[in-house]
Amino acid sequence: MSDPAGLAGVVGLTWAESGQATLAGPLLDLAERLDRRFVALARRWQAAELRFPPCIAAADLERIDYFRSFPHLTTFAVCLDADEDNLGRFAGGEPVNAGGQVTLTKVASVEAVLTPAACYHLYAHHRGLHLDAAAYFTTRATCFRRETHYRPLERQWSFTMREIVCLGTAEETEAFLEGATADVDALAAELNLVLSWAPASDPFFRPSRHPKYLMQQVDPTKRELLFDDRLAVASTNLHHDHFGRAFDISRTSVTGDVVQPVHSACVAFGLERWLAAVVHRHGGDPAGWPEVGP
Amino acid sequence: MNGRCEAEVRQALRTWVRRYATVEVPESFDDHTPLITTRYLTSLQVADLLVYVEELRGEGLDVGALRPGVFRDIDTIYATFLAGGCP
Repeated sequence: MSDPAGLAGVVGLTWAESGQATLAGPLLDLAERLDRRFVALARRWQAAELRFPPCIAAADLERIDYFRSFPHLTTFAVCLDADEDNLGRFAGGEPVNAGGQVTLTKVASVEAVLTPAACYHLYAHHRGLHLDAAAYFTTRATCFRRETHYRPLERQWSFTMREIVCLGTAEETEAFLEGATADVDALAAELNLVLSWAPASDPFFRPSRHPKYLMQQVDPTKRELLFDDRLAVASTNLHHDHFGRAFDISRTSVTGDVVQPVHSACVAFGLERWLAAVVHRHGGDPAGWPEVGP
Repeated sequence: MNGRCEAEVRQALRTWVRRYATVEVPESFDDHTPLITTRYLTSLQVADLLVYVEELRGEGLDVGALRPGVFRDIDTIYATFLAGGCP
């Protein structure tokens, strides 16, 4: 386990080598109160809240070319083939060996992925939707990303992501990000966290000639809010009409005479990383943590 | 630039954009028309345009050194990657 920051010893945190954290006590309470603050930010736009299942259809991710962009991050939902003989071979064998590895027999066709980003569900959910005005949503999901190494609260296989999403015109999405950025800055100041925004790119597989990586180089649309100049606790993302085209979501222009693929933008919060920032900044004793709200 | 002059290179870029743009390019399109914010070019076209610029240059580009805005419009593309090769 990599834990140079020493966060594994924080009260209320149980760390698993697989890159997953269990939260309890004051740390869990802090996480929930932080999330309520993020939801409060979403209320500025009267964002509708949705809660999605933990898996997303692989076919939906294929529409946005996810598997060519991020195959290394993907966690598939795998089930055994339902054939009784197959199930019998699995149950009668050594289902889990001494090394903790599952000894799979024949697997069913894989059609689902454990959610890699909370907002993907929103675009798939709203496929075919036509909007006459901007629409705002918020959702929270446990997200899964395989990494080469993990750190408690800072880099996890599974983690909690809260997102606020705007679907609208290009101007509406840009205004949304401008407002959201200001709100997040105000929240960071209130929590006495020294954070800074920086341009960023997504961790594409083989990025050097990946079209989306190139696009992020020449037209930066992602910014990350960094703690200690290294840990991204939030990000803003301008998608242009990428998801609108992929899921056939449209928006009537402000002048009312043109229907175009909707533009989208999101602000994403990594909940565990906010916990890490608070603990780094204010210490592991809950008595020293800032007042976050109810 | 394979012996092409500035006017020829700019015309080649305009022709490329008109041919591969994701939406119809208007008559008013010129070398200062934004290419990305207008969605004439999306990520796929930008990747292809990069290859075309390399072809016009006659040499490869250092992708890691690409800076924000260099594909903003044809004038910027020309000035950044292709100027200086004509008599």
